[in-house]
Amino acid sequence: MPTVRLDGMLRQFVSARSVQVDADDVSGLIDRIEETYPRLRYRLRDEAGMLRRFVRIFVNGEDVSLVPGLTTRLRAGDKVDILHSIQGG
Amino acid sequence: MAPSPSSRVRLYLGTEKGTYVATTDLRRRKWNVTGPFQPGSAVFHIAPDPRTPGDVYALANSGFWGPGIFRSRDYGAKWSEVATPGFPPPGKRKAPKEFGKFPPEAIRALWHLEPGREDEPKTLFLGADPHRLYRSDDCGASWEENQGIAQHPTRPRWAPGGGGPCLHTILLDPERPSRMYVGLSAAGTFRTDDSGETWKPVNRGVVVNFLPETRPEVGQCVHHVALDPSDSTVAYRQDHNGIYLSEDSMEHWTRVGRPLSTDFGFVVATSPSLPGGAVFAPLSPPEVTRTMPGQRFQLYWFNRKKRNFRPMVRSSPFIGEFGNHREGLAIDRLDPAGIYYGSTGGQVIYTPDAGRSWSAIPFQFPKIHSVSVSVPGG
Repeated sequence: MPTVRLDGMLRQFVSARSVQVDADDVSGLIDRIEETYPRLRYRLRDEAGMLRRFVRIFVNGEDVSLVPGLTTRLRAGDKVDILHSIQGG
Repeated sequence: MAPSPSSRVRLYLGTEKGTYVATTDLRRRKWNVTGPFQPGSAVFHIAPDPRTPGDVYALANSGFWGPGIFRSRDYGAKWSEVATPGFPPPGKRKAPKEFGKFPPEAIRALWHLEPGREDEPKTLFLGADPHRLYRSDDCGASWEENQGIAQHPTRPRWAPGGGGPCLHTILLDPERPSRMYVGLSAAGTFRTDDSGETWKPVNRGVVVNFLPETRPEVGQCVHHVALDPSDSTVAYRQDHNGIYLSEDSMEHWTRVGRPLSTDFGFVVATSPSLPGGAVFAPLSPPEVTRTMPGQRFQLYWFNRKKRNFRPMVRSSPFIGEFGNHREGLAIDRLDPAGIYYGSTGGQVIYTPDAGRSWSAIPFQFPKIHSVSVSVPGG
């Protein structure tokens, strides 16, 4: 089962620093997290299902936010980080 | 209802970093500033609801969390999020029964909220990017997209303006309940006479210099429009390509800004407290700095009857670069009228006496997107 680490910005929606989620791909992983934490819904993805602009997702340290993106396959033991890139100005 | 002597004047400032509320008394000399609310979000518009004093709506566009609509029931002291088109308010965001079902395109930004008419106390209209108009009949608990705009036959010819494909202007005709207008960049102005079922492009006479055809039916980059408070068939338009006047419900437009050194700009405002014309804030041309000419703060009063402009600030003491966004000018309904200008540099410059004297609120705000004013009873 993949382990997901959540950055500090998400703490206002999710009390845990990390959660374990059973999912086959990143899209399913976000579905499951939203199911557990409904307040997170529409914060990582917009209502059209696309990752919001400043959300970055790493699987085992590799940025998969753009490619392969939400279809990235997951395996048991994977470490997933959900982070936010810096928004300047 | 006239304002009581103890009435408070409130300026709602939508900024790049959130909402601020500046409060004063009827003399409009000393200000108290609170905020930011919705900190970190770019607030493009704030709408006090004149039907329910104390109700205020703010359109917050967060780079991290997406757009959101916030409502205050106490003149801006406390705020809570209501529903945004496409998703419900935070407390009701349950996961869908079936995953993977999404609409084709998300809302990128919220641009303008317009409270409905007096006899529709729960109705709100909302303009959004990409080129969308919504209506709520339950104070923002749910929203329905206007299909007349969504399916408009000219939509393939609409393009994004510099701020994106936004629907930024919503005007309700106070004398004709089924008539309203919208402004979209860069599509132009549209009028409905059947409560939003169908929309007619009303841009005749407005020139464009960025398309092969200079007088197209649609494609104009309208920046802002205001109706005349004493005759709603009269409209004043600040367009990318100049200042225009219409006296026939936007059927025809005449460019009246030629006498100015530049008639490019973003804002226009009218008020019953300043009858007979409109206030504009012309800026240097778009290919230059888009700030006030001569590095001095200046507003212009357009006299409709005389068809001329007069500067409203004598020997302007405010020196520097003054730019603005399309919602950055507001006029109250008091006598004498207060005029409030918010700059992209974060200054609020205002007059409490219809232009006889000008001051600045002694507070450095972030970049200002919008200025709205409310006076209970005023």
